[in-house]
Amino acid sequence: MITIENLSKEFLQGQQSTEVLKGVNLNIKEGEFVAIMGPSGSGKSTLLQLLGGLDVPTNGTIQIDQKYLNGMTEKERTIFRRKKLGFVFQNYQLLSTLTVEENIAFPLHADGKLTNEKNRMIQELIESVGLDGLNRKRVNLLSGGQQQRVAIARALVNNPAVLLADEPTGNLDRAKAEEILSLFLKFHHENKQTIIMVTHDIFAAGFADRIVLFRDGVVDRVISRKDGDYAKYLASFMA
Amino acid sequence: MSVKYGILTLLFRQTHHGYELKLELDSLLGIKGKVNPGQIYTTLDRLIRDELVSSPGLDDQERKRYELNPKGKDELVGWLLEPIPNHGTKDDFFFKWNCARTIHFEQEKKMLEQQKAMIIEGVLELTKLKTELLLQNQEKRYLLISGMLFHLEADLNWINQVENRLR
Ligand SMILES: Nc1ncnc2c1ncn2[C@@H]1O[C@H](COP(=O)(O)OP(=O)(O)OP(=O)(O)O)[C@@H](O)[C@H]1O
Ligand SMILES: [Mg+2]
Repeated sequence: MITIENLSKEFLQGQQSTEVLKGVNLNIKEGEFVAIMGPSGSGKSTLLQLLGGLDVPTNGTIQIDQKYLNGMTEKERTIFRRKKLGFVFQNYQLLSTLTVEENIAFPLHADGKLTNEKNRMIQELIESVGLDGLNRKRVNLLSGGQQQRVAIARALVNNPAVLLADEPTGNLDRAKAEEILSLFLKFHHENKQTIIMVTHDIFAAGFADRIVLFRDGVVDRVISRKDGDYAKYLASFMA
Repeated sequence: MSVKYGILTLLFRQTHHGYELKLELDSLLGIKGKVNPGQIYTTLDRLIRDELVSSPGLDDQERKRYELNPKGKDELVGWLLEPIPNHGTKDDFFFKWNCARTIHFEQEKKMLEQQKAMIIEGVLELTKLKTELLLQNQEKRYLLISGMLFHLEADLNWINQVENRLR
């Protein structure tokens, strides 16, 4: 479903160029739930941005559903993103002057008017993420954790084939995080959604089928519970 | 069980007579409470029989002294480096770590890392099980597994704190 080949990304700042991704290779099957872990600055968010078509790689390719993201024009990429992808950003990126409801509904407007069906979906999501009663509240008046939950509902509202989530539980306490992860799991299970979730939390990563360990711009190792020595490796990786 | 390794820990540092061992053991075992002297002497007899400990003789007050044999030292190090299974109680690891600190065990880091690996294995296995129970709506078992995971989280946080302070 998702094939990443030899992906690299350099950022230019003045004369300085830094290579943040240095040849990432990764395959993700349709309907798979993958967690990405790795030290701060190792390039996890950068990888997610490229996967979401929000930025373009310096080298290498990404295929989603047999379509090369690189081959698309910016407009084609936008349409593709709207149809296929849901994105939870590390810093939420909500529209601060709009309400909870309006933010969540935002990805749906491109397809025309909101039907009753769509409105019901929005209401259900608001309840699932625990924001009942806050429908009409402007998001810049919400706490960090509440904003994060708006971002999650927005990412799920078009029932995307692929959900990209950057630290979706980073600002939530254990109980709230559990609710969000359960929601992901439910979507994943019922809609065969592919999920790629960046997290620093092993208790969240445990929800995934596989854990991709990221270090210094490359995939260091892919962990699955079938590997004999995965726990030792993870323990030293997290040290 | 812990009396045996408690004695090996104390004798690792220096020789002791029986009554000293009792006093030191009480503080090493901490909240686990006091050990009865009879238990200490039967354990010492067994340690001597197994050649882990020996007696170099009496001190000036005619009390029998005990010292650790090389074989006893190996036994202690082997035990320190053996992670506590996740179904064991947390007290077991606290006791083991307390013994390690008491003798300034130079492989403490390794010990912590191995215990961490044991916990992580538990976390991933239990979380996997938890997700299955969640999807099957098995509320009671889901909550029980969640409870076990909270315990593992506390254990992991504590090890991380010890490791951070070692840096
Ligand atoms: N637009 C940009 N311009 C220049 N440098 C950038 C840009 N975006 C990211 N970087 C740099 O790339 C590196 C990797 O950043 P990235 O955000 O991908 O890391 P991360 O693994 O997500 O870290 P964290 O766990 O802290 O979120 C960092 O050193 C960052 O400063
Ligand atoms: Mg990041």
